[in-house]
Amino acid sequence: MKKLLAFTLVIGMLLSLVTISSLAADEVVKPDKIIMMVDATVVTSINGRDQFEARWEELTGIDLEIIQPDHDAYYDVMQQQIASGDWPDVLILSSTVYSSYAAEGVLWDMTDAWNNSATKNSGRFIGDSVIDGLKINGSLYGFAPARGNGCLTYIKQAWLDKVGLGAPTNYEEFLAVCDAFVSQDPNGTGANDTYALAAAGFIGFEAPFVNYLPNFYQDAYPFFIQQEDGTWVDGFTQPAMQGALERLADAYAKGYIDPTTLTNGTKDCRNKFYDETTGIFTYWAGTWGTNLKVNLEANGHDGQLVALPPIAEVDAYYDRVPPVWAITTACENPEGVFKYFIDTMLDGGDMQMLWTYGVEGTHWSRAEETILDVPYAAGQFHMLESLEKAGTAYTKNHIDPMLSLAAFAEGYENPMELTVKPEAKLSSQVFNSHSKLAKIVPTTEVMSMYNGDLTTLKNELVAKVAMGEMTFDEAMAKFETDGGLAWSNAIVDSLNALN
Amino acid sequence: MENAPPTNIKIPKKPLSIRLLKYKWFYLMFIPVLAFVIVFYYTPMVGIRYSFTKYNLIRDPVFVGLDQFKRLFSMPNFWSAFYNTLKLSIVKLLLNTGMAVVLSLLLHEMVNLKTKKLAQTIIYLPHFLSWVVAASVFQLLLSPTTAGLFNQVLLKLGIIDKGIYFLGKSSWWTPTYYVINIWKDTGWGTVIFMAALSAIDPGVYEAASIDGAGRWQKMWHITLPALAATILTVLILNLAKVMNLFESAFVLQNDAVMDKAQVLQTYIYYQTFNSGGIPDYGYTTAVGLFKSIVGMILVLVCNYASKKVRGRGIV
Amino acid sequence: MKTTPAGETAVGRRAPRKKYSLFRVLNGLFFLVFCLMILLPLWKVLVDSFDLTTGYGMKLLPEKFGIAGYTSVFTNKSLYIPLINSVITTLSGTTFGLLLSTLGAYVLIQEDMPGRGLFAFFLLFTMIFQGGMIPTYIVLRKLGLTNTLWSVILLPAINVYNLVLMRNFFDGIPKSLFESATLDGCSPLQTFIRIVLPLSKAALAAIGLMYAVAYWNDYTNYKLYITKELLYNFQMKLRSIMMGSDLPAANSGAVENTVQNAAVIVAILPFMILYPLLQRYFVTGINLGAVKE
Repeated sequence: MKKLLAFTLVIGMLLSLVTISSLAADEVVKPDKIIMMVDATVVTSINGRDQFEARWEELTGIDLEIIQPDHDAYYDVMQQQIASGDWPDVLILSSTVYSSYAAEGVLWDMTDAWNNSATKNSGRFIGDSVIDGLKINGSLYGFAPARGNGCLTYIKQAWLDKVGLGAPTNYEEFLAVCDAFVSQDPNGTGANDTYALAAAGFIGFEAPFVNYLPNFYQDAYPFFIQQEDGTWVDGFTQPAMQGALERLADAYAKGYIDPTTLTNGTKDCRNKFYDETTGIFTYWAGTWGTNLKVNLEANGHDGQLVALPPIAEVDAYYDRVPPVWAITTACENPEGVFKYFIDTMLDGGDMQMLWTYGVEGTHWSRAEETILDVPYAAGQFHMLESLEKAGTAYTKNHIDPMLSLAAFAEGYENPMELTVKPEAKLSSQVFNSHSKLAKIVPTTEVMSMYNGDLTTLKNELVAKVAMGEMTFDEAMAKFETDGGLAWSNAIVDSLNALN
Repeated sequence: MENAPPTNIKIPKKPLSIRLLKYKWFYLMFIPVLAFVIVFYYTPMVGIRYSFTKYNLIRDPVFVGLDQFKRLFSMPNFWSAFYNTLKLSIVKLLLNTGMAVVLSLLLHEMVNLKTKKLAQTIIYLPHFLSWVVAASVFQLLLSPTTAGLFNQVLLKLGIIDKGIYFLGKSSWWTPTYYVINIWKDTGWGTVIFMAALSAIDPGVYEAASIDGAGRWQKMWHITLPALAATILTVLILNLAKVMNLFESAFVLQNDAVMDKAQVLQTYIYYQTFNSGGIPDYGYTTAVGLFKSIVGMILVLVCNYASKKVRGRGIV
Repeated sequence: MKTTPAGETAVGRRAPRKKYSLFRVLNGLFFLVFCLMILLPLWKVLVDSFDLTTGYGMKLLPEKFGIAGYTSVFTNKSLYIPLINSVITTLSGTTFGLLLSTLGAYVLIQEDMPGRGLFAFFLLFTMIFQGGMIPTYIVLRKLGLTNTLWSVILLPAINVYNLVLMRNFFDGIPKSLFESATLDGCSPLQTFIRIVLPLSKAALAAIGLMYAVAYWNDYTNYKLYITKELLYNFQMKLRSIMMGSDLPAANSGAVENTVQNAAVIVAILPFMILYPLLQRYFVTGINLGAVKE
């Protein structure tokens, strides 16, 4: 009897849940007000945030409150806000914070809302793989309007011409280019003062760790990776690592890699590329393609760069997991916020225009005028001069048009061709067609205990092998005696236990 | 109040009530200070309780006793980071203070006011450069390649025959770190000593000169003792902060020198950063409490020593 | 100025032929070399700030001289309001800071005062133990101070380190002066204003400078307690110029590197001006000499 009663109760509850949720899906209530927290990737107040807010409110009829801390302080302020119980409705998160907040129940599960969304079913959306990469155990807690971008290898065309070589297509050719760049005086100073390339450290500071030296790491990856069968391994202990480290050591010993790579900052590497110390540079795709050129030309050098498709041994460049928009569980009307805030961001029309380029009359215009010495005809789309930095024009608002996951709707003029410089576009195209998405690695107790020490040890060994202070075998022996292998195994076990 | 006792003669203390009344205005004057300290420092101190909890700022804190401290002490490289922190901080403190005192004494001997002012202003400027900028400039100057000015000079002078990677070799890193710190902060350190020196009565020097004292004798017997109290105060006050060493080590360290350069704060930073999760605020607070306790022990021990030697502590 | 530095009184007047003694020459040479060594790294930043080309190495002079870096910093409209905010907080904060530390220090030198030791301990304790980032934020929030300039003015105003240093200076004032003031009928507050403060100009200048520098350079408190761009200070904006890695290359011809180096120099400028102005309070003997007359 009791069992029967319980059974009917459960059935009843399930039924009511189904009806409630189906009701909710049909009748999403429009929220009166949305509180959003965002970093400096949306125009700041000096750059016309008020106009952005007004335009957004005009398009939706919803009151928008923006909390926008200084960009360095975003995560500190966000933590304070979360700790004091004062959660915003919607906020932007880095991929690592996203996955831990999702695990802690801070974020609203938007799987269903996404599957039924206008964006996903618009026919314009090209980011299904990106969204899939954001799923945690099959559930989606966040949305990204753009890809995360990554690094590709740039080579100076003038240097290639000087040494009479073409763009390399495999490692052997790549090494030949390196060798020529070191020995054949490609910068024409007559002195032996060049290196093929420089990097900020032999291993990256954060995922995807190999992105600044992909041509040497190739198929090796020094962090935890999930294999096809779903089990986890530590890439550092895999056979491919030996080849990677020996390639680095060899190139370093031959003087291809800048000797101060260990202590370089990213800026040092850029400056060495600008002042013709190096000829190859693996750096961000897209806008940086233009920035590198402009800086080289400002120095009086040839700015033409080859955006190199990955050499044969490098399968693809890594695309970072993008920052994610998420709705908190404190939000009273998450369906409404999803529908009116997230699902409108890539609407292919006015709203997407607002998120991509900003506000007409503030950030862009079609008026007949001259901006920064360039005359524009009436009706011709162009970006306006920055309110903050005189002498420079705006390039975008929140969404980088080159990384956007959805095209504008048919019939809606896409200004990208007009605003993006050709080098940036080329580098972006090469990257897009040769990149793979980096994966979010879940975190475990064991990982938070050991991974700090483990990473420090791995990085030390990579640096010492690369600089020839240790052989690979010595490094592996030290890895074992210093406890690295044990930590690594413990973390792998804890990751496998999640499955 | 009219019959205030002559202070130099030890006399039995007056009853408490009379003394309280005598100092009533002082208590009143102390109220603003007290109010500030209570509001901005003591009220937040309730947060120290988090060091005995697990708290990710989302769910309510869970009491875990001393688990966070156990976790801290059982971290594989905790003790080496702890040792590095104490060594780097204390040696740096002694070197910087020592250099600042020497510079102040020498500045004090400078006669030409204009050059003195100029020298003072120049040596204090590096304090206003951020550590990030300072580190990048020194990485260039100390580079082992032809771009590294310092190595080039040593090569030209024939002192070395191959460039030294000062910041990239574990054996060179520590002394280089101290030198960069001296460059950055001794000039700023002289500000307080120069102010202390200006309190010396010139008559004392004149009297000493009449007695036939030379420059070194005056420096040794007049100037230095006049600075002693300030030197001790500066040293002891800074001991409270030795465990906070972070930025200078962080920007100058690199993968190959971590055995020498890893300090507690950077260690915790990397541990949190590489954990891939949201930081446990309970753990961070526990680390903070541990640092405070070490700082307190250092201050108390040195203050006690100062009392034994000089008859009084810093406050 | 009648009073001369001790060195000059003692050596200069009595033994004029020793004016260029070996010690002085060596001392001068030492400072010449030392200052050059201090300046060398700064020179790199200065040269780069005037150089329109971007390079890694050290240059003696700019390769392509131009002031575009500086015009780019100064025409950055977002710097004007922060500059005003910085001036307001630095002036008021330094005033508050000096007030609190002199009052506190004056109380702490009253050796006979009941409870003095307890007060001292009470203050020192806060230097060593802190509540942490989040509890401090919550307190400020409950007081309604977050997102107001009060948070960045009041919080750093009580600085025990500076207070103890101040106390150390006050200790040097002869006790006899206090007694005669009391005999003359001065109340403790009058003694404080008429005797203690005028006698401590060097200390006030030094510790005032320490406060001013801390307020001017404050970044952490702004970052944590202020999310309104209108309330940011100069340092906060300069930092974002310096750190900004994806600055669009300016059409004016200034490249990112030049602008960033110019921002570093601009950040140092106020202190190059401020310190020489304060140095007259550091000249030996002025203070006590003035009292004795």
